[in-house]
Amino acid sequence: MNPIIQVEHFSKRYGDFTAVEDISFTVDEGSIFAFLGPNGAGKSTTINTLCTILDKTEGTLTINGHDVSRERGLVRKDIGIVFQDSTLDAQMTVEENLKYHCAFYKVPKNEVRERIAFALDLVELAQWRRAAVGSLSGGMKRRAEIARGLVHDPKVLFLDEPTTGLDPQTRANVWEYIQRLQKQKNMTIFLTTHYMDEAEVCSQVVIMDHGKIVAHDTPENLKHQYTGTEVDVTCAQTEPLESALQERDVPYRKDKNKLMFHTKKASAALEILSAHRGEIMDFEVKSGTLNEVFLAITGKEIRE
Amino acid sequence: MNPITAIVQRNLLNYIRSKGRVFGALFMSMFMLVMFSFLMKSSMSGLDAPMPYLISGVIIMSVFQVSVNNSSDILTDISSGYMKEVLVASIARTQISMGHILSGAVIATLQGVITMICGIVLGLRVGVLQIVLLAAVMLVSAMTFSAVGLFLATVSRNSPAFQTISSMIMMPLTFVSGAYIPTTMIPGFLLPIVYLNPLTYTTSIFRYIALGAHTLTTQELTAQGMAFSIGGFVITPLMGLAITILIGAFFFVLCVRKFDRADFSTIKIATGMRGGGAAARR
Repeated sequence: MNPIIQVEHFSKRYGDFTAVEDISFTVDEGSIFAFLGPNGAGKSTTINTLCTILDKTEGTLTINGHDVSRERGLVRKDIGIVFQDSTLDAQMTVEENLKYHCAFYKVPKNEVRERIAFALDLVELAQWRRAAVGSLSGGMKRRAEIARGLVHDPKVLFLDEPTTGLDPQTRANVWEYIQRLQKQKNMTIFLTTHYMDEAEVCSQVVIMDHGKIVAHDTPENLKHQYTGTEVDVTCAQTEPLESALQERDVPYRKDKNKLMFHTKKASAALEILSAHRGEIMDFEVKSGTLNEVFLAITGKEIRE
Repeated sequence: MNPITAIVQRNLLNYIRSKGRVFGALFMSMFMLVMFSFLMKSSMSGLDAPMPYLISGVIIMSVFQVSVNNSSDILTDISSGYMKEVLVASIARTQISMGHILSGAVIATLQGVITMICGIVLGLRVGVLQIVLLAAVMLVSAMTFSAVGLFLATVSRNSPAFQTISSMIMMPLTFVSGAYIPTTMIPGFLLPIVYLNPLTYTTSIFRYIALGAHTLTTQELTAQGMAFSIGGFVITPLMGLAITILIGAFFFVLCVRKFDRADFSTIKIATGMRGGGAAARR
């Protein structure tokens, strides 16, 4: 796959405060890429620099082969953005917001109507198209904003914490739209989030902390690398299994007739479990979460 | 739709939708016209036609005030976040500036035309051709004023600061422009300010057309405060128009540069970076 976003040695400083320090990464075309990290980690700074709103201090950033500092006009054409805070035009209707957006991005006149209809259908706002944006609920505004961000068919769609501040139901819906979008349009999606479950469905995850990249991999690899699999086994008799664990130097915890231990991979537990199949009444295998990954890497919870 | 057309259309719609504002603005310009025309009448003694002279001044000043004040609309766009949508779009910065300047100018001109109609009722005598020419001058000057206002707005960055800065600049300039008090009656020590004031020249070209003064000689124009002799060099009303356009072009370039600076919308970003620390350090 072709890298559509390339960032090399990017730094951004405000006076003597360093928001982002020497980060490098690439994003493949057609993938969903997540920037994960607590508030203030430098996620928004990076996204705003990629979106040509902020100027870099150092480094090279390109989108679709265009330099974000020197070829801003070309970069702007290729990207769509949903900012952290609303940038909708509150006095205008949903349709007007999209219409002016099309004008700004020079969408061919004969396609405007069709594209607006498609985008509004995708986020299920078609029936609200004549409503003033200011009168919509938070979730609907977010959806309107996503529809606007994609109506000009950007190559890359940036979503800066697209689901922050939404109720769980709306959050799930918005997330569903994002995934549907990526599938239907094969768009590259670059998002920042501090919700771990959102990052799990991405193809690549970058974890940032204090302006630096502390990990970059697929969610699966990160989980394998930084967390193990927890196995909880309920036995009729715990002794045989306990001695088997002691033999293998696997630390475990015991709670009545329940044994809990960690393995690197779920498959590693299989051998012990099958050897003691007779004594096992029940078992549960829990794979690690990105939350644990974050905890393992930074030593703190992501939600502060 | 062309991006400039889109911005103009959007701004005009936005203006029309805030009905209170439309009404307030119209009321203000009529109020100003009536109040000033009667209050300042006595200061116009010694002129051939004091009322038309004064009315024409009041009309162009109302265009000036409306243009500058409407430029603060962009501050609403900045604080609502909408400006970011415009700034990240693939629109040339010249088009963004032009869109905002044009929309402000169109609104100011429309109000100016309405004020002019009231002025006609109050005794300003103008023909159809004059009305067309006056509207054209209003549009051109309003574009200059909007460019100035837009620049002030982007510099001041928030509404209270803009209000303070704009009234600090607008009030004195209005009073030494010859619009309310003929420049011929302004004390000599203030004359350098009068000559440096761009409004002086805008007022002179507007009044020149409104009073049908093209039949007057340069000397007569100077005596009536529509042409200015500075150290022997005479600035005619038409040169005044050129000066107005030049000032407009200058501020247009400043606005484009302001929009071109990538970090322009940091106000919103800074507040968005809740834990960033950058906001606190700015």
